[in-house]
Amino acid sequence: MKIVEKSAPHLRKPNASVVRMMRDVVIALMPLVIFAIYNHGLDAVVILAAAIGSMVGTEYIYYQIVDYVKRDRTKHEEIKDKIAGFNKQIETAKAAYQEDSNQELYDETVEKLKAEIRKAKDELRAYKQASTKEENKRFHLFNRNFTLYNYSILVSGIIFGLTVPDSTHFMIVIIGGVAATLLVKMIFGGMGQNIFNIAGFARAFIALGFGAAVGVSNHLPVQDDGSAGATVLGSLTSNPFTEPSTFSIWDMFSGIGFPGAIGEASALLILAGALYMFVRKSFDVFVPLVYVGTVFVLSTAVMVQQDIGWWYPMTHIFSGGLLFGAVFMATDPITIPVTRPGRVYFAFGLGVITFVIRLFGQYPEGVVFAILIMNMFVPAIDYAKWSKNKFSLKSSLIFSAVILLTIFAVWVGASNV
Amino acid sequence: MIAKTKRVSDYKQLNKELPTLRYVDPEYVYINLTTNRCEEYRLDVKKGDYVKLGQILGERDGCFFKQPIYATVSGHIEDKVTKIDGTGIEVECITIRNDFQDTYDETITDRPENVIEHLTQKEMVDIVKEKALVGLGGSGFPTYIKLATEEKIDTVVINAIECEPYLSSDYRLIKDQPDEIFNGLKYIMQAVNAKQGIIAVKKTKKELIEVLENEQKRFQDLNIKIAKLGDYYPQGWEIETFKNATGIKVPIGDLPMKHGLLGFNVSTTESIYEAIKHNLPVTKRFVTVNGDGVKFPQSIRTRVGTSVKDLIKLSDGFVEDAGNIEIVIGGPMMGSSVKNDDVIITPTTTSVLVFKSVDYKEEPCVRCGSCVYSCPVDITPVSIMNAVKRNDKEAIKDLSANKCIECGLCAYVCTSKIHVTDYVRKGKSLIG
Repeated sequence: MKIVEKSAPHLRKPNASVVRMMRDVVIALMPLVIFAIYNHGLDAVVILAAAIGSMVGTEYIYYQIVDYVKRDRTKHEEIKDKIAGFNKQIETAKAAYQEDSNQELYDETVEKLKAEIRKAKDELRAYKQASTKEENKRFHLFNRNFTLYNYSILVSGIIFGLTVPDSTHFMIVIIGGVAATLLVKMIFGGMGQNIFNIAGFARAFIALGFGAAVGVSNHLPVQDDGSAGATVLGSLTSNPFTEPSTFSIWDMFSGIGFPGAIGEASALLILAGALYMFVRKSFDVFVPLVYVGTVFVLSTAVMVQQDIGWWYPMTHIFSGGLLFGAVFMATDPITIPVTRPGRVYFAFGLGVITFVIRLFGQYPEGVVFAILIMNMFVPAIDYAKWSKNKFSLKSSLIFSAVILLTIFAVWVGASNV
Repeated sequence: MIAKTKRVSDYKQLNKELPTLRYVDPEYVYINLTTNRCEEYRLDVKKGDYVKLGQILGERDGCFFKQPIYATVSGHIEDKVTKIDGTGIEVECITIRNDFQDTYDETITDRPENVIEHLTQKEMVDIVKEKALVGLGGSGFPTYIKLATEEKIDTVVINAIECEPYLSSDYRLIKDQPDEIFNGLKYIMQAVNAKQGIIAVKKTKKELIEVLENEQKRFQDLNIKIAKLGDYYPQGWEIETFKNATGIKVPIGDLPMKHGLLGFNVSTTESIYEAIKHNLPVTKRFVTVNGDGVKFPQSIRTRVGTSVKDLIKLSDGFVEDAGNIEIVIGGPMMGSSVKNDDVIITPTTTSVLVFKSVDYKEEPCVRCGSCVYSCPVDITPVSIMNAVKRNDKEAIKDLSANKCIECGLCAYVCTSKIHVTDYVRKGKSLIG
């Protein structure tokens, strides 16, 4: 028994852990994974396996390389230096022999040195054998930095897989996964250091890099020819204020037989996952609430301006990746601000950018772009000079004014689409 | 997890209802001559002298106040030794060998009620100053400075919250000596001429409320209220107690006196009663011995100057398979851990906690925001931590790290088990 000194506090909250938090996200994602496989069959299995495998594999290989480079080689170097020294002495003896031609002395010296070298090599071999289990081992099956144990890379992999449309070739998914893990996670310093949402980056990477090859083919309405423009959001892009006749709100809500990314179809299951994470307090419920709320308010404003039905805001909320992105991607704590007001501003920004891209833009990946754009603003939102833990009267007033201005801008914009 | 945490797991049920052990007669007591506030001292007695209980042994000398040193038992003076006090620093102590007679010094005489009735604020302050009373909640701030306030005080708040888990010394005190507490409050109200007195207690402590309400009947003529406050941490933080008991929000850094408020810990109130009524310094106090590293957790009424070794022995010692243990003097959230068990009980020692030491696996921060949501002073511990890591003093200042009260909640709630409080503490010291 030893008495140790530690600084206060001497207690830790028993059930607070990163592992639990990430595991909860995996559990919340499971119904979506099963539903994706049910809806899209083998396509979904291949895409998910490619997404998870590429991300987990990249991280694993990266850390194996880092460990290999950083491993302890001092003893090796020492013995190798010794052998090099002996070899040098042999060289010197050779040079001396060429000068004085003393065969006997030369043989004796070389023999002695060769014995020394043999001894050193034996030593090295013995050291290698003795330390296979410990520091000298070149290959650790379980890498201490590898973040599979806390599910963080698994979460990224599953989320990325679920955002990919069903007819995407698995090689594209693998390229996206490898690129995102390397460029966004590993280069920035691993878990907790990334600026961009890994899954979001991967999704945007394949959207921009492979364009038309990232497509939807299953469950498309019969009258269309199979282009990406045939999803609900696609038809909204071509005819912004005409109700898509092929799918009802219920189709979008349940997600059964609905075209799109393999995991984003069912609003019902996404909400169930969100409810689970909310009960377990494993995500910040304010982010999806404000995000979806912002899109709802803005689309309602457009609805009033255009004098169309309630289908319009409903379609915006239940179609595409909005709910999925709001619940699973925008809540990734590493890439969002840390304060409550900061998270509210962040989620509001997400809503505005998403809606603006949907209303005026061409890409169907509005949610992913919004998340990546807002990720860049996180350091600014968290900046020490103005980041505050609580809303003050002044900040609330300014924020309300910004909301009103945004609604006004969208109103004016909608009348000019 | 990613939500405001207000509760800290409370294991007090362990020993709350056990009878309080009376261990008032250790063979040796060690009276500290120095404290963390006073490094100089003068000693008037020498080895072999016979001293009586309540006799002045000398004087501690702080930078701006002097404090008499009192004997807490009667007996013979022995050697000077070095021990550790509750804050973890080494202090010089004088040993007294107890003669178990409790012979009181001649100055220890009761003041009759009719004399007390006519005491002025100045006279009371002099008594309190002479008896070297300090804040017994753990702060050790000299009580007479508070009592000598010249601001107009409307309300005196007695803090009986004891919001940290594991502790039950104030709990035992209220149950055993409610009369002393009410009388102490009466004297304080008389001294500062306050209109109202409030005893703040947790609303979940039904037994205490019962005891206090019963006692209240004897003090009908005084305007004393019992405020039942929510059971959360850090409810016992002075500013939080004021806010919930009176509705007055004292800004951090302001003296509560300016807002007409005066706060005392419940043990301090009791000690004020003892000083004014019986002319006694603090000689005994309740100490909780608790935690998973000690075999028999219990509350002990003990003599000031007792060695913690004795108290742990009384609690059947440490558990056998403990591995590394931590000894914490004070609460588990804010108390300080000491390097060995050679610690003495000073008037400000509320508890001795023995924990099996757990080494948590620290993971990278995932910025979940639990610390930000839970912070009672509304600062952002995680941002301060990052600023400390890159040694950015300006950012630490902008994030107002100096507001931190070191309650420990940020480290308590951390999902990555990072010692956030340590970083914030470091940040505070960086900006001075």
